[in-house]
Amino acid sequence: MKKRGIGVGCMFYGIGNTGMPNPAGAFLDLTDDGTVLVLTGCADIGQGSSTVLAQIAAGELGVNIEDVLVVAGDTGVSPDAGATSASRQTYISGNAVLLAARQAKEVLLEEAAGIMAAAASDLCLRDGHVWRAGEKTPLTVKEVLAACRKKGKLTLGSGWFNPETTGMDETGRGAPYATYSYATQVAEIEVDTETGKVSVLRLVAAHDVGRAINPKSVEGQIEGGCLMGIGYALLEEVKLTEGRIGNPRYAEYLLPMSLDVPEIHAIIVEEPEITGPFGAKGVGEPALIPTAAAIANAVADALGVRFYDLPITPEKILAALSAKGDGSARMGEIT
Amino acid sequence: MKPFRFTATINGRPVDLPVNPHRRLLDVIRDDLGLTGTKEGCGEGECGACTVLLNGRPVNACLVLAPEAAGCEITTIEGVAPEGGLHPIQEAFLEAGAVQCGYCTPGMILAAKALLDKDLSPTDQAIKTAVSGNLCRCTGYIKIIEAVRLAAAKLSGEGDAV
Ligand code: FES
Ligand code: FES
Repeated sequence: MKKRGIGVGCMFYGIGNTGMPNPAGAFLDLTDDGTVLVLTGCADIGQGSSTVLAQIAAGELGVNIEDVLVVAGDTGVSPDAGATSASRQTYISGNAVLLAARQAKEVLLEEAAGIMAAAASDLCLRDGHVWRAGEKTPLTVKEVLAACRKKGKLTLGSGWFNPETTGMDETGRGAPYATYSYATQVAEIEVDTETGKVSVLRLVAAHDVGRAINPKSVEGQIEGGCLMGIGYALLEEVKLTEGRIGNPRYAEYLLPMSLDVPEIHAIIVEEPEITGPFGAKGVGEPALIPTAAAIANAVADALGVRFYDLPITPEKILAALSAKGDGSARMGEIT
Repeated sequence: MKPFRFTATINGRPVDLPVNPHRRLLDVIRDDLGLTGTKEGCGEGECGACTVLLNGRPVNACLVLAPEAAGCEITTIEGVAPEGGLHPIQEAFLEAGAVQCGYCTPGMILAAKALLDKDLSPTDQAIKTAVSGNLCRCTGYIKIIEAVRLAAAKLSGEGDAV
């Protein structure tokens, strides 16, 4: 028989390292031809941080993203940005790049103010132009840059950001993170009571990311996290015997593959974080955190049996069902 | 072991080089020919990162011995794009956001190409099956499946225009 169930998982997640300083730095230079060079220690491992940092620099300087060149994770030239972990780079390196861009922008605005006989505070940069009191002027950022160079003025910036945290006291109290991400996921599953196989039919994943600097890569991370969460819930188990991994290959350690993909609806919830760059927080790890809980709850909904031990394999399901069938187990007792 | 003369066509070009017969096609491609777009993930036929086309069929280059590929037409990721441009499948992967770390991407694109060379209106199930030998740990496959769908539309659109 096939039984269906629906389950919900919720989470909150602290962005950055726990109760420890974890700063990131960035250098920025506008070169003669208008290229914005960003140096950052932030390693892009596929989550798209280099793109996001380029967007942040471009956004602050009012230029096209195509004009930004990010040199990332080269310890020979870039300042330290800490690890790409803890869902921290958009928030922390993003702030560092934002501050570096702001510093360079101040030089440009001061120069533009001189050219236009205006107050720098009335000016801003957008679409490659200088704007005055909300109106686009014909003066371009590149012209301002050329005017700076003519006088021998360089347009450099550096910035660093360390989220405000405290350590935790002996009772575990403190403010270990400067900001948190929140998420809720709902799973719809089907269990085949004959084989014990659980199929995930649909996942809805709503994630508060502060502000999505790059919505497509946020979606990509949510979808990737959901699938990794399916693996965590149903397939993946490192089998250790006396410190040795007993299943070190893909043939034995099962990852979700394309045929395991359910419908996934990624919902981006935007609640701007005041301390984040353009309001952004992080999404990397949160994407994976509630999935297994939602699936386990859905399995409990379908079968009336609760599992406390991952992965929920067909063997465990069948054992639980037969235990339930002979009345020897009550809900909550089977692991 | 005595080398043998390995001749084949790789990405439309003839190659002719001495190869030890116990070497894998993957080693010939990556180490002897320097075509490092083909990746090695597991080396045992599980991940698909090493996918290349052998006479149009996707194979795991880590499971093919060099002598088995002799005389064949081999396509690696380097041979997919036209000079100075991108193949519609590659464009579709970019547009759909189907590339994250990129390690699975060359294999995914070749697996997709093998499908689309035969079928320009695949169902989602056919797409999932076509890339089922290619593991991706980043994307959750959603955008990869979307990209193959998009590529099919691009390719059949081009076909209509001709
Ligand atoms: S390297 Fe060939 S399948 Fe993994
Ligand atoms: S994009 Fe990283 S493994 Fe597929």
